[in-house]
Amino acid sequence: MAEMTIKETNHRRTGYRQSLGDRIFDVVNYTLLVLLMIVTLYPYLNTLAVSFNDAKDSIRGGIYLWPRIWTLENYKFVFENASIVQATWISVLRTVIGTVLTVFCSAMVAYTISRPEYVLRKFVTIAFILTMYINGGLIPNYLLIRELGLIGSFWVYIWPGLIGVFNLIVIRSFIENLPDNILESAKIDGAGDFRTFFSICLPLSTPVLATVALFTGVWQWNSWFDVFLYNSSYEHLSTLQYELQKTLQFSNATTKAVDFSAMQARSSSQVTPVAIRATMTIVASVPIIMVYPFLQKYFVKGMMVGGVKE
Amino acid sequence: MDSKLMHVDTSTPLSLQPRGVKRFFRLLWKQRALVLMSVPFVIWLFVFRYVPIWGWVIAFQNFKPGKPFTEQQWAGLKHFAYMFNDERFWLTLRNTFVMSGINLVLGFLTAITLALMLNEVRHIVFKRVVQTVSYLPHFLSWVVAAGIVRAILDPDGIINEILLRLGLIDEKLLFLGVGEWFWPIYGAVIVWKEVGWNTIIYLAAMTMIDPSLYEAAEMDGAGRFRKMWHITLPGIRPVITVLLIMNIGYLLESGFEPQYLLGNGLNMRYSENLDIYVLRYGIEQFNYPLSVAASVFKTVVSFVLLFTANNIAKRLGETRLY
Amino acid sequence: MTRRRWLTAALSLVMVLALVLTACSGKKSNNSGGSDSGSANQGQQNSSNTNDSGSAPQDTVTFSMFVAVQGEKDFTLSESKIGKMIVDATGVDWKVEYLVGDMQTKIGTMIISGDYPDALVPDDGIEQVIEAGGFIDLTKYIESDEYPNVKKVYGPYKEKMKWSDGKIYILPFSVVMNEFVPDPNIGQGAFWMQRRVLEWAGFPKIKTVDQFFQVIEDFMKAHPDEDLIGFISLTDGWRFFATTNVPNHLAGYPNDGEVMVDMNTHEAKIYAGTEWEYRWFKKLNEINAKGMFDKASFTDNYDQYIAKLTSHKVLGFFDYGWQFMNAQEVLLDAARVNPEEDQYRYFPLPVVFDENIKDQYLDPPGFVANRGWGITVNAKDPDRIMKFIDYLLEEDVQKLVKWGIEGETYLVDENGRMYRTQEMVDMMTQQFREEYGFTAFDWDWPHYGNDSSFSDGNAVDANRQPEVFQLSLSEADKKFLDAYGVKTYSELFSKPDDRPWYPAWGIPRDEERTLFETQKAELQREYLPKLVFAKAEEYDAIWEEYVQKLNKLDVKGYEQWYTEKIREAVANSQ
Repeated sequence: MAEMTIKETNHRRTGYRQSLGDRIFDVVNYTLLVLLMIVTLYPYLNTLAVSFNDAKDSIRGGIYLWPRIWTLENYKFVFENASIVQATWISVLRTVIGTVLTVFCSAMVAYTISRPEYVLRKFVTIAFILTMYINGGLIPNYLLIRELGLIGSFWVYIWPGLIGVFNLIVIRSFIENLPDNILESAKIDGAGDFRTFFSICLPLSTPVLATVALFTGVWQWNSWFDVFLYNSSYEHLSTLQYELQKTLQFSNATTKAVDFSAMQARSSSQVTPVAIRATMTIVASVPIIMVYPFLQKYFVKGMMVGGVKE
Repeated sequence: MDSKLMHVDTSTPLSLQPRGVKRFFRLLWKQRALVLMSVPFVIWLFVFRYVPIWGWVIAFQNFKPGKPFTEQQWAGLKHFAYMFNDERFWLTLRNTFVMSGINLVLGFLTAITLALMLNEVRHIVFKRVVQTVSYLPHFLSWVVAAGIVRAILDPDGIINEILLRLGLIDEKLLFLGVGEWFWPIYGAVIVWKEVGWNTIIYLAAMTMIDPSLYEAAEMDGAGRFRKMWHITLPGIRPVITVLLIMNIGYLLESGFEPQYLLGNGLNMRYSENLDIYVLRYGIEQFNYPLSVAASVFKTVVSFVLLFTANNIAKRLGETRLY
Repeated sequence: MTRRRWLTAALSLVMVLALVLTACSGKKSNNSGGSDSGSANQGQQNSSNTNDSGSAPQDTVTFSMFVAVQGEKDFTLSESKIGKMIVDATGVDWKVEYLVGDMQTKIGTMIISGDYPDALVPDDGIEQVIEAGGFIDLTKYIESDEYPNVKKVYGPYKEKMKWSDGKIYILPFSVVMNEFVPDPNIGQGAFWMQRRVLEWAGFPKIKTVDQFFQVIEDFMKAHPDEDLIGFISLTDGWRFFATTNVPNHLAGYPNDGEVMVDMNTHEAKIYAGTEWEYRWFKKLNEINAKGMFDKASFTDNYDQYIAKLTSHKVLGFFDYGWQFMNAQEVLLDAARVNPEEDQYRYFPLPVVFDENIKDQYLDPPGFVANRGWGITVNAKDPDRIMKFIDYLLEEDVQKLVKWGIEGETYLVDENGRMYRTQEMVDMMTQQFREEYGFTAFDWDWPHYGNDSSFSDGNAVDANRQPEVFQLSLSEADKKFLDAYGVKTYSELFSKPDDRPWYPAWGIPRDEERTLFETQKAELQREYLPKLVFAKAEEYDAIWEEYVQKLNKLDVKGYEQWYTEKIREAVANSQ
């Protein structure tokens, strides 16, 4: 086996002279980025403020960065839901298991279709690409899941979305961009495909795998339609997002009641959709947003694939 | 440099080479590791993605749910004919294309620009903070986001306030009440919500660029913009190309929620897209076949677009999808 | 290579998690096996073997029910106080699940897979479920003396309940028992005016549109610095009917959906494109020209609309009481804290076009045939379910679920009138109502309609009992009601005429009719704002264009279809 060194370096080297043009560029660049931050931070802060504001007061509108009537009632209302702990656990499980399996399986297939010598390469690639825009529709999908016995099962959150074509193609294009000689030299050294994949391809593709992990993780965390469709009667498989949807709709009361009195009975609670929507946004997004800073190190570091001795 | 960074497929399909079938199987056996790594997933693909396609026959039926499949009445091309003869269908189709186009062009330009800008930030903490903050709006549901957009664009909202103070307008504008303004508003909203999120993938791509290239360029005295133009951009070009091709195929999927939540009677001629059409005339009417017919139509168009884009990429010698 | 460790760690994590999950899901299914299998029915299980624990003396059966309406919490009947009493008495428990996402999707998958619960409230999806053969025929139960209460309650409506194939699939929610009790509040449509405007103008009698707007205009002129909004209209999404229905009400018709029905010929005519609509939007056009109409009405969504109603700036609008209840509550809360704020609340007015028109805002006693409760083909033991329903429809049981337990949630005076003390009224928080069981029975079961009374004359709906209603009035409320010489808000309005078909929108429509309604609404969504914003001289041209496009739709077919249905309903009622 060739001696390989993989050295991590920072993209940017320190200590080189800055020209005037560089300085102007930096000033403009930093200013624009700060402006962008203000524009993108505002909606989140606004939502945070609404979530801590009295629910009935919130429907008057006009809340910006700070609550008008401070309260924790909205959070109480959301967490009052008895099944929220169990649901959060299921959400974590589906996110972790789903992400790890998706990333691993996608990477594996991506590796095979990046090997030019693979006889089934074209076949596999096209088989996947063809499904990119095809959707059989709700009914056949539902019947399929039912036939497979996945209704009422945790795995209905994992199997149907195991590999996304988009992710697959993205990973493939990264692998293809790895310097040829690295994978080749491993071959020459007699490493099998399994070993090449595990010990060279996977470690070298960390940035793209982190990206795909983020995409998948967020998607898994936010999903609730599959719970609604397949597992709504199975309380122990409910997820955080689904429970939050319930809470929201409960606060929304019903919209099509035929009788005023029914309506009156239904909406006599102290919460309002505006407040609950804000609260659930915060509750649902904070955990997943926390993940990003941990993944970020894979995006800021560059990698240098060092000398390959023959 | 380009040729090194891009892996262009040059191998002829081996199955077409002499001694056909026998050689093919011998090779297959030799590559059994690769087969083992991919074929199980092709089976998965077949079950979960190809099997449900039978549902397309519904588009050709007067489908009544609950009846056995064999008792369904055939409708031929009736649902397609209804769609193609409906003036609203073409209007929503136009809007779909325009808005997806805006989404595509603006989405790519802004995300790549932001990635380049971030890449030039040397202060690591600042860079991380900007990245994290800029992708926050992605986590707001469209209902929440649309509520905020409405508040900002309201006649009493901040934009009217600023324009009035600056003396650019004399009376408050009803931004969402002018049809022609819907598209630019849509574009701005999409960028605001998704630019940070869309940047992630380009940042990941930039980490794959060999730093020694920058060093070499610096030796040659290249400035910042030249390095961006000659190293960073070409470095992420394969990713850009692949994403572009895939997204061109998605041109008929312009999303549904922003249009639905920001649309109203005054801008409906510009805001309503195909998905809203399907919602109104398919789903809400329990007209399931019409929804499927629209979905089939979308798929066909998507493939035409995908093939075209891929072929253009091929002609230009760019990375291709397949 | 540290990367490999990362990978190994990740992989082993998955394995561990997978093991944990298998273990814990196994445990779960054991746990819930007893109580859960009734709801977890995928159609095959027999619910009678769910009572394995043997805790109940008689065999308690658990049935499942799904309600295709959003906005309530799932519950098990035996969890609440009243619920437990009923479960003990009948040996039947229920697990009730409410809709969380989209109704069409949920009902759609239910139909396709045949995975129905035992009982189903399909809401809008009723036609689809019936067409797919999802419900069983209930006719025999309504005719049988073995189910005396079912027969008593639904027997008189038998003909109206029949589906087009002559069978009865659902038990509707809106049957009127005994005396009709009108709602003292205005839950339905009305023109609303801010209270301070009325007081400022000296409580004038307002009957016509012109009078209504004149008062507002005068008030605005007298308060030029306040940045007031004269009139707004709700146009968001499906709530758009709050804008399109107005001409119908002004012409003196109740909310029959899209049509006005002639009292003598029983002919149904849509009011879109009529002289009435022309007049109303012409009026709005004038109001707009005077700067009294809020232009943002046509771009605001529901949240913004509600926010405006609570902003104190809006002087007048038309809406259905139930639709802006959020706003009413906020304003009422503020007025409770500070009586000064009462002036910003709204007062309902029966406005019509001309003096000689009799207003018909109040709903006549109606019968909504296309909303209700049914037993599905998957039900294990329909007879037992109907026995349960029969018990539920006993008068004493209805009293229990609507009023609660005497001494706890209501009292009876020497005349046999049921009432609540202020304390009891204040006790009715959402949480209390849930734990007590009121929410479990407030709507989704066969019940005495809320317009009903018991045989002893007490109102079924506690909120409609005059004794309870008077308790809810504040000093300011009484001042306004006194000024107009009435005791309840509904007394301001004319008594509803008898309309045996009412409500026409409750008649199940076929595909062509729903398509027409969608197309018509789309057209209105586009043209009505144009009409309001047009320059006065362009109004007629835009109107012509609108009517022309409207006439391209199948108006005739729609009206004919409705006329037929209404004449049928009239014939059935005689």
